[in-house]
Amino acid sequence: MKLKLARVEKGLSQQQLAELVGATRQTLGLIEKGKYNPSLNLCIKIAKTLDKTLNDLFWEDDEN
Amino acid sequence: MKTKKPFLNMDERNRQIAYQVIAIMYFITILSMQGVLLYRQFALGQSIHDFEDFAIILTINSLFLISALLYFGAIPIQRIKITNILLFYAAIIVLGSLFTYVKYNVFQHQGLSWEQLIDKFIIIVVISGLIVLFWVILSVLGKRKIDNELED
Repeated sequence: MKLKLARVEKGLSQQQLAELVGATRQTLGLIEKGKYNPSLNLCIKIAKTLDKTLNDLFWEDDEN
Repeated sequence: MKTKKPFLNMDERNRQIAYQVIAIMYFITILSMQGVLLYRQFALGQSIHDFEDFAIILTINSLFLISALLYFGAIPIQRIKITNILLFYAAIIVLGSLFTYVKYNVFQHQGLSWEQLIDKFIIIVVISGLIVLFWVILSVLGKRKIDNELED
C-alpha cells in the first residue's frame, strides 16, 4: 500500500514505474499487493526511482 | 535512469518462475527417462547395447547435475568430513553391487558366476571411487570459491 501511495504521489502509472525499474507491470502490481517478494536490488531501484528510502516503502510496523 | 531491456523482456519474477518450471520439467524428464531405461531393461528384457547411448547421456547428465549442485553451493556443506565421505562411498558401493547382482542374477536367466561378479565389483569400487573423488574435489573448490568471494 505504501508503494502504491508513493507511486501515485510521484504521478507514475504501474507501467511507467515498471519500465523505469526494468520490471513488468504484473510484477509491480504483485509487489504492491504484497504477493511477490522482490529482490533487494529491485527494492533499491524502486526506492531510488520514487525518491524514497527502503523503510518508507517496505518497512511494516508491528501493528500492521 | 531507464534500465536496459532484459532478454525477452523478462524481469526477476519471470526468470524465477521460468527457472522453477524448467527445474521441475527437467526433474520429470530425467525421472521418466530413468523409468523407461529400467522398463526396457527389466520388463522388456532388452540388452543394454540397444540403448547404450541413452544410458550414457542419462548417467553423464546425472553426474554433472550433482557436480554442479555441489560446486555452486546448492548442497549445503559446512565441513567436509572424511568419515562422511567414506560412509557415502560405502553406500554407493553397496547400492551398486546390489543393483548389479539383481540385474544379472535375478532378472536374467543366465546369471553371472562368482568370478564375473567379483570383476563387476572391482569396476564398481573403482568407478564409485573416482566419482566420489570428483565430487569431493568439486565441493572443496566450490567452498573455496565462495570463501574467496566473502574475503573480497
